[in-house]
Amino acid sequence: MTPSLGTHIAFGVLAAFAVLTGWRVFCTDSMVRASFFLLLSFIAVGAIMILLTAEYLGVAMFCMMAVEMMVMALFMVMFMMNPAGLNPMKMVHQERVAIVVGVIAFVVLSAVAVLSEFPDAPLPAEHVPTISLGRELLGDSMLVFETAGVVLLTTMVGVVVLSSRRGRYGCADDGSMPPGLEPGGEPAGQPSEEEGEHTHHHH
Amino acid sequence: MILDQLILPWLLAWLMVGLGAYLVAVLDRLLATGSARDGSVWLAPLASAAWLMTQQATTTEAPDAPAWRLAPALYLALAATGLALVPWSPTLVGVDLATSLVLWGSLEALATVVIFLHGWSANAHLALIGAYRYVALGLSYLLISMFVLIGVALPAESLRLTEVVAAQTSLWHVVSQPLGLPLFLMVGLGLTFWGPLDLADSTDLSGGTAVERSGPPRLVWALARAAMLVAFSAIAATAFLGGWLGPWLPGPAWLLIKSLAVLVALLWLGRRLPRFAPERCVTLMWVVLLPLSFIDLIWAGAVALWMA
Amino acid sequence: MTLTTLLILAAALIGIGLYGALSQQSFVMLMMGLELMLNGVMLAAVAFWAFSGTGAPEGQLLTIVVMAVMAIEMALGFALVVAVFRAKQADMTEALSELKQ
Repeated sequence: MTPSLGTHIAFGVLAAFAVLTGWRVFCTDSMVRASFFLLLSFIAVGAIMILLTAEYLGVAMFCMMAVEMMVMALFMVMFMMNPAGLNPMKMVHQERVAIVVGVIAFVVLSAVAVLSEFPDAPLPAEHVPTISLGRELLGDSMLVFETAGVVLLTTMVGVVVLSSRRGRYGCADDGSMPPGLEPGGEPAGQPSEEEGEHTHHHH
Repeated sequence: MILDQLILPWLLAWLMVGLGAYLVAVLDRLLATGSARDGSVWLAPLASAAWLMTQQATTTEAPDAPAWRLAPALYLALAATGLALVPWSPTLVGVDLATSLVLWGSLEALATVVIFLHGWSANAHLALIGAYRYVALGLSYLLISMFVLIGVALPAESLRLTEVVAAQTSLWHVVSQPLGLPLFLMVGLGLTFWGPLDLADSTDLSGGTAVERSGPPRLVWALARAAMLVAFSAIAATAFLGGWLGPWLPGPAWLLIKSLAVLVALLWLGRRLPRFAPERCVTLMWVVLLPLSFIDLIWAGAVALWMA
Repeated sequence: MTLTTLLILAAALIGIGLYGALSQQSFVMLMMGLELMLNGVMLAAVAFWAFSGTGAPEGQLLTIVVMAVMAIEMALGFALVVAVFRAKQADMTEALSELKQ
């Protein structure tokens, strides 16, 4: 594979865009904005993958990350303070250490990239990336693929269990503090008045 | 190379965007009045567009500036990208990517993001409610769309739209996969939030995500919605109605006729189907339509094995 | 676009992601740092596949696996955030310091 001049230019622009948006993720006031900056970084990397002729992976990246970042933005708005970024905000700790570690990671990894000798074995001319990926997924590496599928299923079950509000004995978040005997009253079921407290609903 | 790989697809896509959006406005008006007795039906969309162009573009207090400015244009760009993927004949294809079917799926996913940003960036409560409603709807119809499209790709043994069309020479997918097209039409109504699935920009939110819009950006937003409907019709005609295939006429003419048929069907459904409350809409998607799309996929696989 | 420039870009993404994962106080922002690191990992995998693997399909497979890992990480992360938030009304890492004891 010998990239053309247009490919080089496109790669340069996309690489700068990926780094810039990746950096902006951590220095914007709004968390929704941060998650969409991350999406832009992913889209740039996906486009670079398409330039590298990994057409399926690049396009799948757009699809996966659009949904993933959309869900992330929703969670941001639900849980986090200042989702719209109307107030200036900086929520960081141990920032100096983090900057130093990040720079060291970059320098070391770049040094590996620059100094080491990697085998020069580019794609064969008649290579069809999508078909070869499909044959690999449903051929030799089917076990890996199926394992990933089963792990995803397990995750789904686990996540539903973790986040489900309703358990066998009623609402999950009622457990730590029982409701009052009359509306708005003191929490019932304190140790002193142990008896007569089993008024749970049986579902 | 630059002419036929860059400029021609570009012109083709944008020509379809402009003409298609105009056609959507005219057809929707014709379907609403039932007949063409109103003489101005061909001019009315142009008149309202010209009126919007002369209006001032208002803005809200502290919007998210980049998203607020870019959202309508981005939605229009997604529609144009979708139109560029449509094969007009075996050789006349805007972008003949090996995974164009997946790229269409990711355009649907990105449309959710753009519509959310359109509502969220306005910094106004009705627009934000519209945006949330759309995300709930969008995350539900995306899965249906994926399964239906995988069913289309199975007999072709390819994710390329030209090969999806080529696989339909003996039998169109609308016949061999009877559940596919109806489900995909629902996806189309959701993608453009048209008719019964207009939860994002509905009148009960006095315009939803577009409530704060006025002037040229509002025109672009309406244009983008209509263009997305056109792009969706062309993709549906390609995936289910055999695209360019047909006797006597040249390929592009057949694709135009079929896309027009899907477009009219969508607009008609948009006028005729009952509206649901948002939460019942989501229940319908997950409990009824998603299992139906599983059945469609299993059906498609069985038919592909049997015919192969 | 050579293997070296691609790997330097991947290193930059990993470095920024590491900074984010270490410095952010909010759980979700921390997860975004991890995702950015995985972004760099995926890019490096595809770069090696394209330039020094003779098109061995395992390079693409690795990227698919990393995508699955990202989905799992996000789903479990959000479920834990929901659980912690319900129990403690907390969305910051420091609020969980008593887990140390």
